[in-house]
Amino acid sequence: MTTRPVPHGLRSLATAGALAAVFVATAAAQDHPQDPRLGRLDAGARSLVAVVIDSARAAGLPTEPLVQRALEGATKGAPGSLIVSAVQRLAADLGRARAALGAGATPPELEAGAAALRAGAGTPVLAQLRRSRRQTITVPLAVLTDLVASGVPVDSAAAAVLALAAGTRDADLIDFRRAVERDIALGAAPTAATAAAAAGLQSTDATHVNAGARDARPGRP
Amino acid sequence: MTAGRRAWAATAAAGWSLLTVRAPAAQTTGTVDVGLSTVRYDGFLASGAASMTPGVRWERPNGAVTARGTYLRFESGHRSLQGSVAGSFFTPAARRWRGEFSAAAGASRYVEFASFWHAVGEARLHIIEAERGAWISGTAGRASYGSAPRGVLAASAGAWLRRAALTLRVSASLSRVGDTSYTDVESSAHTGWGQVTLDATLGGRVWSRGGGRGMYGETSAALALGERMALLLSGGRYPTDPISGSIAARYFAAAIRIHTAAPRHTISRDRTAPRGAGADGAGTSTSARLEVQVDRSRPVRLVVHVADAIRVEVAGDFTDWQPLALSRAGGGFWEVVLPITSGVHRIDVRIDGAAWIVPAGATRAPDDYGGDVGIFVIP
Repeated sequence: MTTRPVPHGLRSLATAGALAAVFVATAAAQDHPQDPRLGRLDAGARSLVAVVIDSARAAGLPTEPLVQRALEGATKGAPGSLIVSAVQRLAADLGRARAALGAGATPPELEAGAAALRAGAGTPVLAQLRRSRRQTITVPLAVLTDLVASGVPVDSAAAAVLALAAGTRDADLIDFRRAVERDIALGAAPTAATAAAAAGLQSTDATHVNAGARDARPGRP
Repeated sequence: MTAGRRAWAATAAAGWSLLTVRAPAAQTTGTVDVGLSTVRYDGFLASGAASMTPGVRWERPNGAVTARGTYLRFESGHRSLQGSVAGSFFTPAARRWRGEFSAAAGASRYVEFASFWHAVGEARLHIIEAERGAWISGTAGRASYGSAPRGVLAASAGAWLRRAALTLRVSASLSRVGDTSYTDVESSAHTGWGQVTLDATLGGRVWSRGGGRGMYGETSAALALGERMALLLSGGRYPTDPISGSIAARYFAAAIRIHTAAPRHTISRDRTAPRGAGADGAGTSTSARLEVQVDRSRPVRLVVHVADAIRVEVAGDFTDWQPLALSRAGGGFWEVVLPITSGVHRIDVRIDGAAWIVPAGATRAPDDYGGDVGIFVIP
């Protein structure tokens, strides 16, 4: 394998870029003195978390969730290294969520998007959700995360939420989620419960009156 | 092959199909109903019975396969065994039209002298709109009452209508099993709210040659008792079914339904049995249930129900993860009112200074610190 020499001009440019990034981060840090709440972390973790937070701020990401993630670790007595990696991971998830949802996404949307990504939803789902709804998508994202938590496969949960998001109020989406939970509690498979609760989806009621279902009447001796 | 063997063979075949089929959107659930019933078959004395009904259901968005078995032990000591497998698959929709193909097979055996089996296939054509639909269908197959199999032919038509949480259905069918013919007209209603689901059926055998006549009706209620358990109450009268071999009867039944665990995911919805440990590694078995009361004009009220506690605290991103003691509200309820902003929030609960746990009522997710954390959303 041969290494192609980097042209001198390009190297200078890269060095200048790195210096600029350090300058921006330093300037940002000076503009935003370290959050006193981070005093609950040990000194080593505190400085590293502060760097992650400053970088996130420079990138235009919300920093409060990062502070809270660090404080959560401190309250739970987590080692400093674990706290730093948790904050770094959340920063990365927030960045992926922002890339999918766009620069106009609100901090609650980004936080909900990061949770949905962590649950297994892909960035295309987040982007589709953004396009499908004018209002805030914090609740649809939270419902998506909740459905996956209830055992609904990610693709089924995403399909249902995407189908409902455009014309459904937040309160109705929360009712939808409750209906799914109730049906699952009554014995329905999560996929079918989601399909049944998502009124308006094709075949929802056809599956209620189908021929195979008639042999499933409970309780009859 | 005897009816009993056919019942077990059908159930085993369904079970094998469930094991071998792999599809990303498919899910399998299992249930076991254990209950008591009193039943009076037409022409027989009333009898109490204990029953156990295991069932397994494999579902995809375009169809489902259900296998069920019922073991009944009557107060006389006699036993009945029933088994059935039914599958139904929908074709892709073509505008408002959709086809459906289904098959059902079953067998039953009572003591040593009565045994039945049947195997039928059905094709349906649905016309489906958002809140209503209709179908027509044709059925063909074979059924046996312990003697030579007889042909089964049936035709039916029906319609359904949905209004809010209520779904109504009406249907009419003409069936012929050997030299027995009958016409049934049936209506049903399905609704549910909160943890309760109600079903009711009212019908009549308006014409018959060898299949009996009369009105029949059944009702059932299901009350969810938690994530994996429900109470089922049902009763009424059902007609003789010459296809499956069931005799007309009046009954009342109560059963507990237990269903198997949902597939495991990296996060889970926790409603009943909070367990967990933070990075401190401690665990707890004490139960706590969270209720988030949101009124847009007021701060958020967090209510935690704990059966027995001296001190209950919460910590979350809305307290900067500083423990916050709740006020005792009586009856095992503890509460606090806080200005929590709209969005997704993380919370843990601590009871009597033990480890932080995820309360039931919150979504459980890994907390990045080796434990779990609860998640809730404020619209």
